Amino acid sequence: MSYLSISHVTKQFGNTVVVDDFNLEIEKGEFVSFLGPSGCGKTTTLRMVAGFEIPTSGKILLDGADITDKAPNQRNVGMIFQSYALFPNMTVAQNIAFGLSVRKESREMITQRVDEMINLINLEKHATKYPYQLSGGQQQRVSLARALAIHPQVLLLDEPLSALDAKIRVSLRAEIRAIQKKLGITAIFVTHDQEEALSISDRIVVMNVGVMEQVGTPFEVYNFPTTVFSANFVGSLNNASAEVVNPASGFISIDGVQFESAVDLTQRKSGDKVRVAIRPERLSFASEQKKANVVDATIENITFLGSVVRIRVKIGGTKFNMDTFNNPFLDLPKIGAVEQITCSREAVLVLDE
Amino acid sequence: MMPSPVSTAVAVKPSATRKRLGSWLIFSAVSLYFLIPLGATFYWSLRGQKDVLGFEAYRKLFADTNFLPAFSESIVNAVATIFISLLIVVPTAYWVTLRLPKLRPVVEFITLLPFVIPGIVLVFGIIRLYSRPPLLLTATYDSSRILLICVYVALSFPYMFRSVDNGLRAIDVRTLTEAAQSLGANWTTILFKVIFPNLRVALLSGALLTFAIVIGELTIALYMAQHTLGPYMANLTRSKVYEPSAMAIVAFAITWAAMGIIDFVGRGSSKHLQMADTE
Ligand SMILES: Nc1ncnc2c1ncn2[C@@H]1O[C@H](COP(=O)(O)OP(=O)(O)OP(=O)(O)O)[C@@H](O)[C@H]1O
Ligand SMILES: [Mg+2]
Repeated sequence: MSYLSISHVTKQFGNTVVVDDFNLEIEKGEFVSFLGPSGCGKTTTLRMVAGFEIPTSGKILLDGADITDKAPNQRNVGMIFQSYALFPNMTVAQNIAFGLSVRKESREMITQRVDEMINLINLEKHATKYPYQLSGGQQQRVSLARALAIHPQVLLLDEPLSALDAKIRVSLRAEIRAIQKKLGITAIFVTHDQEEALSISDRIVVMNVGVMEQVGTPFEVYNFPTTVFSANFVGSLNNASAEVVNPASGFISIDGVQFESAVDLTQRKSGDKVRVAIRPERLSFASEQKKANVVDATIENITFLGSVVRIRVKIGGTKFNMDTFNNPFLDLPKIGAVEQITCSREAVLVLDE
Repeated sequence: MMPSPVSTAVAVKPSATRKRLGSWLIFSAVSLYFLIPLGATFYWSLRGQKDVLGFEAYRKLFADTNFLPAFSESIVNAVATIFISLLIVVPTAYWVTLRLPKLRPVVEFITLLPFVIPGIVLVFGIIRLYSRPPLLLTATYDSSRILLICVYVALSFPYMFRSVDNGLRAIDVRTLTEAAQSLGANWTTILFKVIFPNLRVALLSGALLTFAIVIGELTIALYMAQHTLGPYMANLTRSKVYEPSAMAIVAFAITWAAMGIIDFVGRGSSKHLQMADTE
């Protein structure tokens, strides 16, 4: 049995169902991200694990024990908030010691653990400072240390990096991941930033208005989205409605232009409406020897995005984005030119309409 | 004609000086408005002895066997009022902020009632209600005193609630509470280790305002036949010439001392709260 088990959890506020039949098994030491747009119920789900909300129905088991109705202060769960939530009247060291003194640990043990935690987050010089004397990134590290000091069974992080600027966000997320791995702690990380989720998670739960859309490793979620929503939400994506032409050979047609997909279409019939999704980086200019999925495209627009150049093309009546890595010797076509464009059969994802 | 940059710079200066002068004038006028009566009272209080300025009136005041008992009775009443008021207002305001934010306007309105109802109306209402069974509290001096303190508690609500509410708004009560809970703290620990320390300044200012009201209150104490400072002072005014002025100066000094304490403690401990707040 898994370490943390959330089974058939539903949460209603009044008549609104905010989380609907949520099921997730998390292994010990795993780092799982909840990814989804604003208002989809990520925080609510996390708060049910923390004990700040009680599920309307369903069960939450932690290490075999039913914690569904347990008070938050009986759970041994660490929580990190977007706003840091450090106690303003306490120094860094006192903040970190708070959970331990609440547990009536011995003075020596507290001093030792606090030192250990301060070393872990590299804030040795700031132990006697008050929260207002620290930068946002430093405050969030203190709040991490404070949560970890009590050796929680699960660490819950609710958009811990959202209030920080881009550089700190990237370095702190790496730090969080490194500490989590080092301590082998089980963690749930809430974010609406797909890059963040992809870069630090063992698994991602893609959520959409109260329901789980897809659960998988970052690799799976990015490369093999199972629903239109998760395909769109994770990474950028071209998608178009299409029609199945020949289920057996994987032929579909987007607006009259024929594509071949590696996806198994044998469950569908010829003439079925489907949704086709192709990642921009999977499209490229066709070289001579390519045969499958070579189509004519009109170049509409070219945008530099730094390391990537995004080319907007029109295939048949449908517009697609095509991403190619930037380099100084790149031979870009003229706007208005017609070029041959291709993608592999595997790149053509077929999802339910 | 467009003014040159130089002429603008020159033009700004005198107007700024004029503005400063204006502010000083207003400040001086207002100060005089306060200081002249105060100075006159002080001067009057020093004339207790014929033809010499001195502290005779103060000496007589403190020598009066009724003064110190009335004074200490008022202080005890004030401390009791503050204590009860804090115990009622802080948990209420905390809970409203945390769990019932929709009720805030209602609670705010209720706490404002003492402002709306004149003291004289309040006291007659209270005497009518509590002077017959089943709620007979005006029968003895001590039970009347308990009743008086209860009324003072109600009178303190507007000040106490406002101070505490401001203090609570300056910190993120909900998140701090949840952070403490997830670290294993129970309600008592949260209130005493997290909420109270972060409200220190707010609690103090509420307490000292309450103190000032209770020390100076006349109407209700008078009609409830209580021997506190207010009725004592009123009586003094009727029978003596210089002592009432001395009394007024003493009361004034106490109030100012109270304000000074708020300011001093406020400066020391609110710094990190304010800075955390502005971030
Ligand atoms: N206490 C509550 N009472 C009523 N509705 C609530 C309550 N808490 C949350 N909701 C509603 O539940 C829905 C999900 O909220 P939740 O905070 O879980 O979203 P989220 O995925 O964390 O969004 P965000 O990315 O904006 O933080 C929202 O529509 C919100 O309005
Ligand atoms: Mg949220």
